Amino acid sequence: MLRLLLLVSLAGAANPAAAQTWPSKPVRLIVPYAPGGPVDISARLLAAKLQESLGQPVVPENRPGAGGNIGVELAAKSPPDGTTLVISAIATLAINPSLYPSLPYDPLKDLRHVTLLVQVPNVLIVTNDLPAKNVKELIALAKQRPGKLDFGSGSSGSTGHLAGEMFKMMTGTYMVHIPYKGSAPALADMMGGRIHLMFDNLASALPSIRSDKVRALATTTLKRSSFLPELPTLDESGLKGFDMSTWWGVSVAAKTPQTVVERLSADILKAMDAPDFKDRLRNIGSEAPAVRTPDQFTAFVTSELKIYTELVKRSGAKVD
Amino acid sequence: MEGIFSNLAIGFIEVFKLQAITLGGMTMTLPFNILMCLIGVLLGTLIGVLPGIGPVATIAMLLPVTFNLAPIAALIMLAGIYYGAQYGGSTTAILINLPGESSSVVTCLDGYQMARQGRAGPALATAAIASFFAGCVSTLVVALFAPPLAEVALKFGPAEYTSLMVLGLVAAVVLASGSLIKAIAMVVLGLLLGLVGTDVNSGVLRFAFGISEMADGIGFVTVAMGMFGICEIIANLEQKEKREVFTSKVGSLMPTKEDFKRMIAPILRGTVLGSALGILPGGGALLASFGAYTLEKKVSKNSHQFGKGAIEGVAAPEAANNAGAQTSFIPLLTLGIPSNAVMALMIGAMMIQGIAPGPQVMTERPQLFWGMIASMWVGNLMLVILNLPLIGMWIKLLTVPYRILYPSILLFMAIGVFSISNQPFDCFLMACFGLLGYVCVKLGCEPAPLILGFILGPLMEENLRRAMLLSRGDPWVFISPSKPISMGFVIAAVLLLVIVALPALRKKREEVFVEET
Repeated sequence: MLRLLLLVSLAGAANPAAAQTWPSKPVRLIVPYAPGGPVDISARLLAAKLQESLGQPVVPENRPGAGGNIGVELAAKSPPDGTTLVISAIATLAINPSLYPSLPYDPLKDLRHVTLLVQVPNVLIVTNDLPAKNVKELIALAKQRPGKLDFGSGSSGSTGHLAGEMFKMMTGTYMVHIPYKGSAPALADMMGGRIHLMFDNLASALPSIRSDKVRALATTTLKRSSFLPELPTLDESGLKGFDMSTWWGVSVAAKTPQTVVERLSADILKAMDAPDFKDRLRNIGSEAPAVRTPDQFTAFVTSELKIYTELVKRSGAKVD
Repeated sequence: MEGIFSNLAIGFIEVFKLQAITLGGMTMTLPFNILMCLIGVLLGTLIGVLPGIGPVATIAMLLPVTFNLAPIAALIMLAGIYYGAQYGGSTTAILINLPGESSSVVTCLDGYQMARQGRAGPALATAAIASFFAGCVSTLVVALFAPPLAEVALKFGPAEYTSLMVLGLVAAVVLASGSLIKAIAMVVLGLLLGLVGTDVNSGVLRFAFGISEMADGIGFVTVAMGMFGICEIIANLEQKEKREVFTSKVGSLMPTKEDFKRMIAPILRGTVLGSALGILPGGGALLASFGAYTLEKKVSKNSHQFGKGAIEGVAAPEAANNAGAQTSFIPLLTLGIPSNAVMALMIGAMMIQGIAPGPQVMTERPQLFWGMIASMWVGNLMLVILNLPLIGMWIKLLTVPYRILYPSILLFMAIGVFSISNQPFDCFLMACFGLLGYVCVKLGCEPAPLILGFILGPLMEENLRRAMLLSRGDPWVFISPSKPISMGFVIAAVLLLVIVALPALRKKREEVFVEET
C-alpha cells in the first residue's frame, strides 16, 4: 500500500515536469508513404536530428496505404504521450477529408499539429513544342481549343490535379485531366509530347526545367521561388490570388500534453534552423516555411482544409 | 568511340582512387569507392537471399548514412545493393522454390526442378554466370548508348505500353506447360487480383471490402511468396515419407560441358531482351525475366523440358533480370526520370547531395557518371567471385532437416512481407495466397501465369484507359500508322496467337511423331 502511494505521488510529481522527462522511450515517426520520395527523405533527415536532441532513438516507420490515411489514422489513435509522431501532409489533412467518403480521423479534432516542415511550390510546365510562351498565351490557346489540351498529374485528387482544376475554374477553360501513378511517368509522357502541360511539384520538375526538356510558365504560389527567381507567379500573370503549394509537417495525437507539444516543436524548429538540415531540405525544393509554431500550423491547416474542401466540391473531383 | 575510352578511364580512375579517410581519429589511405562497392554488393546479395526484404527497404534505411558520404561513394554503394539483390534473389528460388526477389519468380520454375534432381549446384552456378555476363554486357550498353536509348524510352506512351502488355499476355499462355484452358483461367484470375485497390483514373476503391490495407492493391511480393513459398511448404509437409529432397544426391557443383553449351544462346537472348525491356519505365526487370523465359520456351529445341528442370529456363531469365536491372539506370541517368521504386530512391539520394539528376549529370559531373558505370563492372565481377564459392555453402543448407528448415523459412517470409509496409495484414494475406496456391497445385493449375496476369493486368488497364482518355475514346490509336511501335506489338501478338493455335490444330499428328522418335 505504501509502495502504491509512493508510486502515485511519484507519478503526480513527474507530471508537471513531463517536458523534462519526456521522452522516456523510443519515439516512432510514422511516414504514411512508401520509402523514397521527398516526404520519406525529409522524415529520415528529421529523425536523425531529433534523435540527437531528444536523447532517445527516433525511428522512421513507413506505413503506406489509402493515400496516407492509414498512417495518419494510426498516429491519431495512438496513446497521446508524444512518442508517436506522424508526417501529416496536404493530402491527409486538407484534401482527403473531402475526397474520401469515410475518413477514419478528423484532421482538426483527432490530431494536434506541431510544426510545418516543408513547403514546396507547384510549377506550371508545358511541353517545348506548345506554342504558348506564357500564361496569357496558354489561356488563349486553351480557349481557342477547348477540350483539346491534356494536363497530367501524379494521381486523381493530388495537388497537381487540383491546381489544374483551379486553373480551369479561374480561367473558364476546359482541359482534360490525365491521372498517372506518380508524377515521374507523367513527366515522361510530357517529354514524349503526349500530354501538353502539368502542375508539378517544383522539386520533381526542376531537373527537367533546367535541362530544357520542358518549359516552365509560372509558379503556383504568391511568392516567386528562389530556385527560379525569373519565373513569374500565376498571381502576377493575371490569376489573382492563385496560391497552392505542397506541404507537410509533423502532427501527434490530439490529447498530447501541451508541454510535450511545445518541446517537440522547439526541437523540430531547432533542427530546421541548423544549416546542414536547411541545405538538405533546400535540395528537395523546400524553402523555409513561414508557418512555424503549433498554433500557426493549426491555423494554416484549418484554412487549407477550407480552401480544398471548397475546391474539391466545385471541381467535382470527389472520390465516391 | 575514342571518347568512350577516355570516359571509361575517368570512371575506373574514380572507382579505384585512393582516398584519405578519417575513422575514429585515425586517417587511413583506402580505395574507398571500391570498398563501398563491395559493401553494396555484399548487402545486396544478403537481402536478395532473404525473402521479401528487397532493395527498396534496404536503400531507404541506408539513405541517411549516405548523406555524409561523397556523392559518388553513396551512389556506387546504393547501385551495388540493387544489382547485388538480383544475384542473391535466385538462390532461394532455386533451393527452396521461394523467390527472394520479385524478379526471380521465373527462376523458381526450372531452377527448383533442377535442385530436386540434385542439380542445385549447376543451377546456382548458371544463375551466377548468366547474371555476370548479362550485367557486363548491359553495362556496356548503358555506357555506349544511354542517350539514344533514353529517346526510345520516351517514344513509349500509353498506347505502346498497352500493346506490349497484350503481347505479354498472349505470351503468358505459352508459359504454361500444362493445359491451355487452365493457363488462361489462371491468367484471368491474376488479372482480377490485379484490379484490387484504388482505380487510377477515378480514385474509386475496387474489391477492397472496406479493408484499408487493401486500398493500394495486393502486394506483388505477398502473392509471389504465398503462391510459391508457402504453397511449396504445405506440399512438402503433406508427404508422409521423408521429403524427397535432394540431400542424398547433390552431385557436381559446376555445370557440365553440355550445360555450358546449352546455356550460351539463352544467356545471349536473355541479355538482349532484358536490356531492351529494362529501359522502359515501370517494372522492366520483372517483365524481362518473364519475357525471356517465354521466348526461350518457344525457340529452344529442349522446350519439352521446360518446367521440368531445363537449364535454359534458369539461364535466360537470370540474364534478363540482371540486364534489365542495369539498363533501368538509363532513364535515371539521362532524363532524371525514375523507372522503378529503387531508381526513385536513387534520385532522392542524388538530390539530397545537391545533384539534379538528368542529362546534365553526364557533362557536368563526368566522374560521377562514368565512375558509376565503371563500378557496375567491378561490382558484377565481385558478385560472381563472391557467389560461385558460396554455392557449396548454400547446398549445405539443404542438408538441414526439414522440420527445422521450414519454420525458419516461414519466419523469414513473414518478416520479409511485414517489412514492406509494416502491415500485419500482409502476412495473413500471404498465408491466404499459400492456401490458394495449394488448391491450384491440387487442381493442376500453375501459379506462373497467375503471377504474370497479376503484374500485367493493372499496368495494362492503367495504360489502356489512359490511351483511351488521350485519344478521346478512339480505339484505332493502337494500330494507327502514327504509332508504329504499338502497331508492331499488336501484329506480333496476332502472329503469336496464330503460331500457338496452329500446333494445337495439328496436335494429333505431332503426338504420333513424338511417339515414333
